[in-house]
Amino acid sequence: MTGRRRLAVVTGASRGLGAAIARLLARERYDLLLTAREPRALQAIATELRGMGGCVATRSGDVADPRHRRAVAAAVRGRGRLDLLVNNASELGPAPLPPLVDYPLPALEHVLRVNAVAPLALVQELADPLAAGRGLVVNITSDAASGAYPGWGGYGASKAALELLSRTLARELAGRRISVVSVDPGDLRTAMHQAAFPGQDISDRPTPEVTIPFWGWLLHQDRTAISGQRFRAQADRWELPA
Amino acid sequence: MIAARSAPEVAAVRAADRTPEARGVARDRVRLLASSATGDADRSFADLPELLEPGDLLVVNESATLAASLPAEGPFGRFRLHLSTRYGPDLWLAEPRWSGARPGPLPIPDGLRFRVAGVRATAVARFPGIPRLAFLRFDGDLEAAMARDGAPIRYGYFAEDAPLAAYQTVFATVPGSAEMPSAARPFTPRLVRRLVRRGIRFARVVLHAGVSSLEDGDDVTGAPPILPEPFEVPEATCRAIREVRGSCGRVIAVGTTVVRALESAFHGGEVRPSRGFTRRYVSPAQPVRSVDGLVTGWHAAGTTHLALLRGLAGEGIVRRSYARARELGYLWHEFGDSQLLLPGSGRPARGAGAYFALERPARARSAW
Ligand SMILES: NC(=O)c1ccc[n+]([C@@H]2O[C@H](COP(=O)([O-])OP(=O)(O)OC[C@H]3O[C@@H](n4cnc5c(N)ncnc54)[C@H](OP(=O)(O)O)[C@@H]3O)[C@@H](O)[C@H]2O)c1
Repeated sequence: MTGRRRLAVVTGASRGLGAAIARLLARERYDLLLTAREPRALQAIATELRGMGGCVATRSGDVADPRHRRAVAAAVRGRGRLDLLVNNASELGPAPLPPLVDYPLPALEHVLRVNAVAPLALVQELADPLAAGRGLVVNITSDAASGAYPGWGGYGASKAALELLSRTLARELAGRRISVVSVDPGDLRTAMHQAAFPGQDISDRPTPEVTIPFWGWLLHQDRTAISGQRFRAQADRWELPA
Repeated sequence: MIAARSAPEVAAVRAADRTPEARGVARDRVRLLASSATGDADRSFADLPELLEPGDLLVVNESATLAASLPAEGPFGRFRLHLSTRYGPDLWLAEPRWSGARPGPLPIPDGLRFRVAGVRATAVARFPGIPRLAFLRFDGDLEAAMARDGAPIRYGYFAEDAPLAAYQTVFATVPGSAEMPSAARPFTPRLVRRLVRRGIRFARVVLHAGVSSLEDGDDVTGAPPILPEPFEVPEATCRAIREVRGSCGRVIAVGTTVVRALESAFHGGEVRPSRGFTRRYVSPAQPVRSVDGLVTGWHAAGTTHLALLRGLAGEGIVRRSYARARELGYLWHEFGDSQLLLPGSGRPARGAGAYFALERPARARSAW
């Protein structure tokens, strides 16, 4: 840490949970590479975080787009090592949430590409700098990964896939000292959550800042010890494996 | 949600404003109310060996108290910083206060830099729902700062300037608590020897208690009742609990921190080896499954402490014993008197009458 500033990549950092995580990382003195599709909101958060003194770069684009991912990887390679990759960018899919029997298949393929294939693709692109930094990959999942909630089947399937990718990567990459966890942040008052409950009042859900204590905890754990685990940020305990 | 409506009326309680030693009472001679389903017996803590039975297991918290109150200085002047919980080598949750008696919040925006006992600190983020508490990052050796300039956290009702040693229990070996795990304070080496001779077993957990999450006048809407706290329940303790359960002995927690640690480690019907952070809240809605009894102190109404007691013993016993302790003039708070709570869950209730049978020779529980 001394002499070298740590680098983190956070996808989907322009609002919601990704912005809250990026804010904490900036205060924890990480340099940041932030992504989202829409450049304006992304610039706004980058400007805010630069005010905290760190180096904040942005790459706008769609995580499902291989060219965008290569641009992210090129920016990271300039630094050599990556300490943290937060695969946070996700899409809910069509709203209101369609039952699977009516789910438009192109939309399902898109949700799977953004939520499951793209996080894996970023790990592939960034494996070398992650290995050099003994990095941690955090894949943001959801209780819909196991909940079988009507309407949530497409999104849930993408998160279920992401969780299995996480656990398998954790084992496959242990030898390269890359650690992988999945984190279910719990219900949060964000644009995505509102899209899932159109027209409903979601003001009883907490803002993404409710997860700050969890991130403070997670970032200071022994990475190799937690690799392969799934955590719930709003749970009443965060347990290390026995 | 925090202040349960049915809270025992404790307006007239007497606070222990000094240590027992300063009051001329030996550590293990504070008063002890032995409470069961059928009554309350006014005893001395030193009677504990007779109040328990051979084969019972006392689970204790090995957390030691930190000199967690540090002098600090910001752009608005001097203040006091109470360290609460260590999240990482240089990341702490802490409570900036105007003084021990005067809570915050202080004007400390995220990103503000200030000094704590000579060590540079930066405000990282507010604790969600509790603006009084902030995550702080330190550049420097906080342990040395605590050793040099730290004092135990002391609240307004406590008048004595007691040294850190007064805040340590006989079981304290792992530093980390902002507030003393006070239920174990009356235990002395002599008393522990007597308990062991009587056939009472001991097992250990660690739970580092942070600062109290709530303070009178706090806006508690949306605030979590318990802060996340580091805990560990080792394998040997799980084994001891299994053995005691197998021989019909009772598992008795020394302090609510122990109950919270054991409840946090309760998976699939038993206590399993666990470590991490927990903010497990015990209340009648989430009742206790891991212990049969509790040794504890007397604490204010509307606190998470009383919710836990109700979750362990039920409303009736708690209400009755609190009224009795008040009548008897028991002293409240962490340097006050004690309670042995054996609600008799899962076994025949033992009335206060049983406490007369002290002269009876010790007999193993397996006899019945
Ligand atoms: N909110 C909840 O209740 C909840 C519950 C469980 C799990 N989660 C998970 O938490 C994570 C964050 O969700 P959130 O609630 O914070 O959502 P949000 O407020 O909608 O934010 C999503 C972020 O991702 C970006 N993004 C979306 N699609 C993208 C794409 N294809 N490529 C690149 N960036 C993209 C968005 O910016 P652009 O639109 O400009 O691209 C935005 O910055 C997601 O993984 C979500 O599944 C949320």
